[in-house]
Amino acid sequence: MELIAAVICGAAAVAAALLVILSKNTVHSALWMVANCLTLAVLFLLLNSQFIAVLQVIVYAGAIMMFILYAIMMLNLRANSDEGDIKKNLFTGRFVILVLFFISLLILGVGLSPMAVKGDMAPLALSTIGEVNLIANYIFLEGLCPFELVSVLLTAAVVGAVFLARKD
Amino acid sequence: MTDYQSIYLALSAMLFVIGVFGVISRKDAIVVFLCIEIMLGAVNLAFVAFSRANQSAEGIFMVMCVMAVAGAEAAIGLAIFVLLYRKTGTINIDKFNLLKW
Repeated sequence: MELIAAVICGAAAVAAALLVILSKNTVHSALWMVANCLTLAVLFLLLNSQFIAVLQVIVYAGAIMMFILYAIMMLNLRANSDEGDIKKNLFTGRFVILVLFFISLLILGVGLSPMAVKGDMAPLALSTIGEVNLIANYIFLEGLCPFELVSVLLTAAVVGAVFLARKD
Repeated sequence: MTDYQSIYLALSAMLFVIGVFGVISRKDAIVVFLCIEIMLGAVNLAFVAFSRANQSAEGIFMVMCVMAVAGAEAAIGLAIFVLLYRKTGTINIDKFNLLKW
């Protein structure tokens, strides 16, 4: 059952991603990207990771993609006529070589990774303590320094964006 | 728990390849940006799959960091695109050679 759902959602995710790079209209690309984010959220749910699925819907599909759509509509872009060869490009050897290279790299990585089971998110702990509780424990006990660095990064990004978009 | 790790990993690799292909073949800067987001999503999927396999919270923490980086990247990147569009009237990435010397 999980296998069937994963295959269907995976096919939908790949189709949405292909439509992102094949659409001529930029707004259509952004809307297919929203579909890709939502199918990824379903895949996270299938991986038993509800918190990340909710974050994916709220942050990616909700905030980032709407921000990109806003920017597209502000820029008033016309459909470019000088890239009509995307579909032809897709079936040339370059794409196939890339696919084979990354898949072989991934298989190599899976073969080499030790898969040491740590067990602090074992199914029993997940069902008794809860996923958000376990993640919060990890963030504020072990990952505190990266967490604070991420907040510094976000502040710097906001200041930089305001500085760039300012009219002078 | 889940025995289908390789499906998620292969799916992640396929999405990543589609993103790479979009980055190297499209001209519209916003579509290139969307392809970078596809690649980040594919990496997130691999992180969650490995996190489940190892039963650890580290992969999920990395996914949250990647989401924050994607948000920062969206803010800065779109500000740069708006600035370039205001300056030149286009965001075709073949037209920009400002950083060439």
